[in-house]
Amino acid sequence: MLLPQFECHLPSSLEEACLLLKKHRDKAKVLAGGTDLLVNMKRKILSPPHLVALDRTSGLADIALCGEVLEIGALATASALASSPTVLQTVPVLALGAGKIGSPLIRNRATVGGNLVSARPAGDTAPPLMALGAVVVLQSAAGVRETSLDEFFLGPGQTIMTPEEILIGIRIPVPGPGTGGGYEKLGLRAALEIAIVNVAAVIKLNSTGKKIDSARVVLGAVAPRPIRSPRAEEALIGKPAGPKALEKAAAAAVEDARPISDHRGSAEYRRLMVEVLTRRALVSALENARQSLGG
Amino acid sequence: MKKQLISFKLNGRPVDAPAAPNRTLLQLLREDLRLTGTKHGCGVGDCGSCTVLLDGKPVNSCLVLAFQVEGKEVTTVEALADGDKLHPLQESFVEHGAIQCGFCTPGMLLSAKSLLDRNSRPNELEIREALSGNLCRCTGYQKIVEAVQDAAECGDRPGGRKK
Repeated sequence: MLLPQFECHLPSSLEEACLLLKKHRDKAKVLAGGTDLLVNMKRKILSPPHLVALDRTSGLADIALCGEVLEIGALATASALASSPTVLQTVPVLALGAGKIGSPLIRNRATVGGNLVSARPAGDTAPPLMALGAVVVLQSAAGVRETSLDEFFLGPGQTIMTPEEILIGIRIPVPGPGTGGGYEKLGLRAALEIAIVNVAAVIKLNSTGKKIDSARVVLGAVAPRPIRSPRAEEALIGKPAGPKALEKAAAAAVEDARPISDHRGSAEYRRLMVEVLTRRALVSALENARQSLGG
Repeated sequence: MKKQLISFKLNGRPVDAPAAPNRTLLQLLREDLRLTGTKHGCGVGDCGSCTVLLDGKPVNSCLVLAFQVEGKEVTTVEALADGDKLHPLQESFVEHGAIQCGFCTPGMLLSAKSLLDRNSRPNELEIREALSGNLCRCTGYQKIVEAVQDAAECGDRPGGRKK
């Protein structure tokens, strides 16, 4: 498959890249890992006259713990996230999500920034990141702004970013003790698959581990964008930490899902699977939360 | 579009190759450098027949633009054999009948080599996961997995295959 022609820019700094986007605006696309953009260009879905490749920039792929915040550079690859000791220690649910993207070959190139900017409803890093309360950092020639991931996605392929902005990083508040996460992805295949339904959950237990203090449940592939499930969360917060609350929450999550029927599955099947996957994600989350309490 | 000269290391040797910005690494390798061991399958990163190692990591070369390998190391399947002497993985693939049409084989070998370089004693699940980006239409994967297991195990035995 042939790629269309384009003018290629290789800025050596983020500032330079931002100036290029300011100049070319929606005639330019940022090239990071290329595992989404180049596919769309080969399929003639996109044909940007300008590509701004970030290969010559530096410092945008770092994963670093800065006090109580985990800072992840947008160019960190899915592989790096899936195997990073820092991620595995502080927010392992993110490693789980990143580790389910495509295939090992894709993960060695795909970046977390690209995964978010591509804004697919079934994307693998968005649910864990939303469940962790992550914030994305957007830079343009006009400056830097941050926004919660909860407000970032507008619909399939649509985000609140302007054509002049680059997503440069993600900031995640480090979860305290008694916090655990789970991520479940359902596909027809075990790899190289887009989720039929995916669910991420992060819960925090109180100091005795008997009560759920806070919970975030995120559903993917069952709406135009990844969504929180307020009904599932309400069924968990303040409740005793046990199977009854988890089952109620899983059933409640179905009410927040608004899936469509497509070639991967019917809406009805997806609704059934939301309950199953939410329960599984919550079981993992509870187990991990208990472990992190030391009990 | 103007061609740029891309300088990189290919199978251990420095190479300077001109390429237009929209040329993929796969096209550069197959069409310009005549290294046809790497295959073009789907062209969109779904089959793995275009697998090469980029700085030691397996990637779909159909989704890497040629200019992106500037200053990096690329390894193709042609680097595995030493003249007529097959790499232990290649030998194992032959002995186990893990090659039918052979189209997926270069990609499988490189993904497997990358796995064994990182993990010299992978279990079956780890092998299948490492190869999950490489599709095979012929073998049903079983013999490929057994070939990788054998190559991994033999490596440590005296007189056995060295990796």
